[in-house]
Amino acid sequence: MMSFLKKLHKWVGLIIGLQVLLWLSSGLVISVLDPAKVNGREWMNTGIANPIPLPPGVLLEADQLPGPLTADAFAINLAVVREQPVYRIRAGDGEKLVNAIDGSILVFDQADAEELARRDFTGKGAITATSAGIAPDLETRNHSGPYWKVQFSDEADTAIYISASTGDVLERRNQYWRVRDFFWMLHIMDYQERQDFNNILIIIVSLISIWLGLSGFILLFGSFTRHDFYFLNLTGQREQVLITLIDPALAEPKIISLRKGSNLFLSLATHNINLPSICGGGGECGKCRVQVVSENPPPETSIEQGLVPKPLRNKGFRLACQHEAEHDITLMLKERTLEGGH
Amino acid sequence: MLKRAVIARNLHKWLGLFVGLQILIWLASGLYMVVVDIDFIHGDSLVKNMQQAIKIPTSPTLSINDLKTNYPEAKQIGLQAVMGKTFYTVSTAEDRYLFDPHNGQLVSPLSEDTAKEIAIYHFNGKARIVRATLIESDPPMEIQTRRLPLWRIDFDDRYSTSFYIDPYSGALATRRHQFWRIFDFLWMLHIMDYQERADAHNNLLKVAQITGLIFAISGVWLLVYSFPGRRSKKRQNMGETNP
Ligand code: FES
Repeated sequence: MMSFLKKLHKWVGLIIGLQVLLWLSSGLVISVLDPAKVNGREWMNTGIANPIPLPPGVLLEADQLPGPLTADAFAINLAVVREQPVYRIRAGDGEKLVNAIDGSILVFDQADAEELARRDFTGKGAITATSAGIAPDLETRNHSGPYWKVQFSDEADTAIYISASTGDVLERRNQYWRVRDFFWMLHIMDYQERQDFNNILIIIVSLISIWLGLSGFILLFGSFTRHDFYFLNLTGQREQVLITLIDPALAEPKIISLRKGSNLFLSLATHNINLPSICGGGGECGKCRVQVVSENPPPETSIEQGLVPKPLRNKGFRLACQHEAEHDITLMLKERTLEGGH
Repeated sequence: MLKRAVIARNLHKWLGLFVGLQILIWLASGLYMVVVDIDFIHGDSLVKNMQQAIKIPTSPTLSINDLKTNYPEAKQIGLQAVMGKTFYTVSTAEDRYLFDPHNGQLVSPLSEDTAKEIAIYHFNGKARIVRATLIESDPPMEIQTRRLPLWRIDFDDRYSTSFYIDPYSGALATRRHQFWRIFDFLWMLHIMDYQERADAHNNLLKVAQITGLIFAISGVWLLVYSFPGRRSKKRQNMGETNP
């Protein structure tokens, strides 16, 4: 069971480990970036948002507005916009403003857009360029209709987008937003539109990665033993066991004392005795083989059955990383293991 | 000195103790959010008649200029369709009103019965209303940012849908259902803001992300040591077949 989970975990990790890394790092970038800067609130003029009451005097009635404009409207509102009373008319093809005194349709030209942008933006920087746009791009993707892009020379490289039909500030974009948006793209894996997190690619990768999480979570429980928490002193005892190590190249065996219950491979390593290993004690490489020559070899594990040939197991060969120091034991090491340990 | 593989393995094991559960929560909540269509979550399929064309009243008893005279402090006067009929909305700094242009009557705040009618008018499908509640204060989590009061109309459909009707405009302010509520709960777990469910920049999240990142790096790093290569595998196989 455990060795199957281990295999599952490492193969799924191999396939999508990089994306998990990207999820975590992009998530970190997104949460670290200051949201007030990302959405431009930091440099927004908050004083102009409040509408003022409608001026006195007779205004046009709704049935006096240009018929084609109101024919399929689903929202009509009379309010003051830039000091003048206007009807804001929303229909299927977008939003329009109509002067409530003379019935003329408002359009916002380049000079208007620049003035509106300058009013909205309180950061340090002057307008360097203004351009017209019709089709939504990455920065204006939530809007339709014609707009002006007013570019400022501030450090954050701000662009204020003004609707050409309503004069509304559509977006405040800057470097912070662009960085955030790039990492958002990596996070939701929609590399074109950067907004559809129900895309098939992320669904597939998520479905795979959940197995990484589940197997890892179970393996996590299996990887801890009571002895990992010896520093909490749960049992109140600090028993030691003696490990006798024989290196055929040396005349004298070496005897060391280990905390009872500690992992053989790891605790030998902390004593500067490095058994051969590729996987670092993961039960994957089979290199940390030692021969138990005292009478009491510990029972074989399923991982050892996969990595150590049976005749060797019968002779007491075990993987050090799969066993704890439970009682006094004598181990035969590969030649020169002890010498090389310094 | 400890071997690098040993360091990576221990890092992965011990950091897993602290962030393992959160990583699993991130993966599981993320899976839900990507698998369940966001338009469905928003309840698009549960509503109809969302954008009603406004019929401009031709010879109304009450005109827009009448309303202007009656409410000189009005900031906004509008036309709004409610169940296919056109009404006036008036907003001042503090209050809002809904008028019937044809008889000049003030119709707001809307009664429970009208709110139910509106809810049924917008509900796409057949279901019974089980409850109508006027929420004036202490809004439930799911409408925290909305302007109160609101009529909450609960249906007995299989999604436990709730429609929120604005008694001062007759509009369907928002709708919620079970899958939205699950989404919202999982979003809370995803961004680790257990109070407001809105702050994706909180310190707990950042600490978990940094720990999680080191954890994941140690995991990818471990992959290098976890595939011992063909040569040793061959030896393994030999060992198993020749006793
Ligand atoms: S260290 Fe690789 S199997 Fe023990």
